[in-house]
Amino acid sequence: MTTFVQPTVLDPVAYAPRRKARRPSAVLLWIAEHALLVALVVMFLFPVVFVTLTSLMTSQQTLTGALWPNPFTFQNYAKAFTDAPLALWFANSTMYAVLATVFMLVSSVPAAYALAKLRFPGSNLIFVAIIIAMLLPPQVTAVPVYVLWTQVGLTGTLWPLILPNLLGDAFSVFLLRQFFLTIPPEYSDAARVDGASELGVLTRVIIPMTKPGIAAAAIFLFFHSWNDYFGPLLYASENPSAWPVAYGLATFRGAHGTDWGITMAMTMIVTIPIVVVFFFAQRVFVEGITLSGVKG
Amino acid sequence: MITTKRLVAIAAIASAAALTLAGCSGSTGADSGPIGAAPTKLEGTVSLWHFFSDREAAVIQSVVDDFEKANPGVKVEVHSGQDDTKLTTAIASGKPVDVGISYSTDIVGSFCSSGAFADLTPYIKRDGVDLAQYPQVVRSYTEYKGTRCTLPMLADAYGLYYNKDLLSQFGYTEPPKTLSELETMAEKMTTLNADGSIKTLGFNPLMGWAENAAAHYGPSAGAEWLNAKGEAVISQSPGWTELMQWQKAFVDKIGYDKLNKFTSGLGQEFSADNAFQTGQVAMNLDGEWRTAFIKDQKPDLNYDTAPFPTADSHTDLYGGGYLTGNIAGIGKGSKNKELAWALLKYLTTDTHAIVKLANGLGNVPTTKDALSSPDLKLPAQFGTFLKVMADDHSMTTPPSPVGAGYQQTFNDFWNKWQSGQVSNLQAGLKTVDKQIDDAIALTKGP
Amino acid sequence: MAVTTAPERAAQVAARSAHRRSTPATRRRTLVALAFCAPMLLGLAIFFVYPLIASVYYSFTSYNLVSPPVFIGLRNYIYLFTQDPLIGTAAFNTLWFVVFLVPIRILTAIGVAGLLARARVASGFWRTVFYLPALVPPVAATVAFVFLFNPGVGPVNQILAMFGIQGPLWFNDPAWSKPSLVILGVWVMGDIMIIFLAALLDVPTEQYEAASLDGANGLQKLRYVTFPNLTPVLLFALITGIIAALQYFTEASVASTVASGKASVGEGIGGSMGYPDNSLLTYTQWLYERGFNNFQLGYASALAVVLFLVASFFLVILLRRVNAFNPEGAK
Repeated sequence: MTTFVQPTVLDPVAYAPRRKARRPSAVLLWIAEHALLVALVVMFLFPVVFVTLTSLMTSQQTLTGALWPNPFTFQNYAKAFTDAPLALWFANSTMYAVLATVFMLVSSVPAAYALAKLRFPGSNLIFVAIIIAMLLPPQVTAVPVYVLWTQVGLTGTLWPLILPNLLGDAFSVFLLRQFFLTIPPEYSDAARVDGASELGVLTRVIIPMTKPGIAAAAIFLFFHSWNDYFGPLLYASENPSAWPVAYGLATFRGAHGTDWGITMAMTMIVTIPIVVVFFFAQRVFVEGITLSGVKG
Repeated sequence: MITTKRLVAIAAIASAAALTLAGCSGSTGADSGPIGAAPTKLEGTVSLWHFFSDREAAVIQSVVDDFEKANPGVKVEVHSGQDDTKLTTAIASGKPVDVGISYSTDIVGSFCSSGAFADLTPYIKRDGVDLAQYPQVVRSYTEYKGTRCTLPMLADAYGLYYNKDLLSQFGYTEPPKTLSELETMAEKMTTLNADGSIKTLGFNPLMGWAENAAAHYGPSAGAEWLNAKGEAVISQSPGWTELMQWQKAFVDKIGYDKLNKFTSGLGQEFSADNAFQTGQVAMNLDGEWRTAFIKDQKPDLNYDTAPFPTADSHTDLYGGGYLTGNIAGIGKGSKNKELAWALLKYLTTDTHAIVKLANGLGNVPTTKDALSSPDLKLPAQFGTFLKVMADDHSMTTPPSPVGAGYQQTFNDFWNKWQSGQVSNLQAGLKTVDKQIDDAIALTKGP
Repeated sequence: MAVTTAPERAAQVAARSAHRRSTPATRRRTLVALAFCAPMLLGLAIFFVYPLIASVYYSFTSYNLVSPPVFIGLRNYIYLFTQDPLIGTAAFNTLWFVVFLVPIRILTAIGVAGLLARARVASGFWRTVFYLPALVPPVAATVAFVFLFNPGVGPVNQILAMFGIQGPLWFNDPAWSKPSLVILGVWVMGDIMIIFLAALLDVPTEQYEAASLDGANGLQKLRYVTFPNLTPVLLFALITGIIAALQYFTEASVASTVASGKASVGEGIGGSMGYPDNSLLTYTQWLYERGFNNFQLGYASALAVVLFLVASFFLVILLRRVNAFNPEGAK
């Protein structure tokens, strides 16, 4: 059966291309919004600007109310490395963050895959347990875990913070699971039909397809480890040679007390690597966060 | 499937594990068995844990080097920057802590009763250490309920620092001897800005700032903390009431908000902008270490020291002050107690070592021999603290199983008092006593 | 007589087999899944299940780490609820942060996200500026803020003075110390702002157009289109924010240490905890102080158990929505 279609004639008035009239109130709104944005930007950049300015002041000048460095003192940045073992702190932070991330990936990716793709009895319970573990304040479990580590004799090092990642990290498993859920089952089914084992499916199908998600989880844990304060406070504070950056910065007391110029320089030095990493990983990072929060 | 039965089983196993692990923690009590004869030759490795850092750690190291030189075959492993928490953790986790130094007497109560530090009495008796070398107050804060588990290693004494230039500027030549004199002089020496805010203070009475703590003021009125049974008697000791009323009146005369604002803008206590060193505060309560800091950071400051003024009704106490000190002991898990004892004995009784430490750290020597040693090279202003050390009226804060917790409780209350939140002082002090007693009770067994 | 057709019969058999658990394929899959999960399960057992149970056990003992724990029954709990002089302050401060820090951060984040969603010019720049503070390590940010807000020599009061305003004592004033930390929290709201921004940008434009056709004005569109789409994200931000506020430790502890100016050698963080006037003493700091500075690990465990119960209350709310974390059809 064929239908004879009448070409529709468009009403010239109703469908004339209409340019959006820029009514005065719309322009005012645009100006108001952008003025507000600019004001907010100024307020948000204010701390950054002043920390930078202070880091360029001599220590005497930081104690006055002066707002502009005079003279510009760049030695603070050099002194930050000599007055405090900043390089050692960086090395410790790097070791902690890198190892924690690598261990997490090894242990959490398979677990997340199992929870996302393999239907098995108990998976729901495990997932619930992971959510609880993820949201529990660390101070609740701190005491017994601490006693455990004193008995193994690893207090005074960062290992109590690094090693548990070999046994999975709750938040990472959660995040990775959400990513793996977005891969349609047809891909893994096809691989299975081809005779791949589950491990094969994981390594040859799923992981290549979720690289951004895995990278996001890795970046999250990296930042979390880099910025961790309570963990090192508990485990590494007794041994200054194990201090990471986050703890060292808070605890740094120069031989002559607090030198604000150097302290601010250290703050800048500590922040810049993170900002650099962010710029390179921006897209992955934002994708990672939005996927974890939005699909809720 | 995870059934309820399985969950119960898992819980049971986990609890059993918890109990076993809990049982594994630490051996029971201090080993009070008999010790052997003193070794003829010392050798091996011994670890020393202390809290100093930077410049001060270097001083400790030099003394440690002397010990190694005198005992070839002995190697000392030094761990610096260890505060009390880290020291406790190290001992509890079984790390080989041979000799541990704490910066205060807070841990004496708990360490002596739990055995974290070994009982030193057998060693003291065997080697004939003369405890009379230590002033009575110093002896009292190194033991708890009859167990002496620490020996004193240098002490701190508190007194009055005054800026001679500022004093003479207002016509004063002598430091104040009573609290009223202190207040009068301070009032005269306080200058204001054009807008009425404080420019410089004669004396800062704000509790909680720098060294203004209840413990440091107590000796001015002979105020007591705990009785012989270890119960809090703050409300029963009239000295505290006198001090608190004097202090609050002083604060109110200046104006609490004005004083608070001024204090918040003052520099960090241990940096070059310390308020006394910059002249923002003309007279100050501080410890003897300040002389070393001044020498290091502001050598041209024209200042002197004197014992801290006493309450008007307690002028007989003048010459004393608050004493505390560093203490050292032998860790429970030490594998070489004889070697540890040798190092400990050296640090706490050897005159040469004590004098070197005192000179380098700017702290008060603890033995009578060291106090009178001609090798002491300390600034002239240090003399006050040597006298305070030897004075009979000096007092300290008694050891307790809650460490310094009871001082914290009282300081919290004093802060409320000075800001005007307390209407009934006596009732408030009774509450403080009860809180301290409750906290101590919590540490006792069933 | 009902006659089941052959295909129906086969379907019934197949359905029954699907419910049977012991086909070789399912068994193998379960084993593999458990193998994959094994490290995670071990981790959960050691670092989650065990500490929870152990904490409960320790909370009934007196334990100073050096000697074995001594069973004392309910004494820790009695002390906690009736005798601890600072527990009320610590709990109040913590709840204060839950009530004020979390909503203010979320509202600011939504507001800024809303602005950013509408900004077309240089949107990447705006987004970066607002997200950057969230990247600063919390310790560094707190140290910097305490310095910036120093009542005497900090730039904030200097600039306020230029406008003739007498700035408060910020971190040195018990009434202003918590609000000062809220300002810090707002500065780093970029981490949740970015989620809201993504959610706002994800709202299908058809919904807005449909609303426009129905004659909705701006406010009504906000209420009936924008808000429902934001609800999942809002809930996520609310719950994680509340849990984080219950654990609030780092910023408060660092702020107190730096603002009090008392660099006391050997005293650790205990000396200036809660400065000024215990206004920044949070529950977890108090737990740390009692457990690790006062060597009362039994009591600290009791504090931890109470904290767990409070956090569980909020967790229950979240778990009701846990199915929302499973996209349809994937399970």
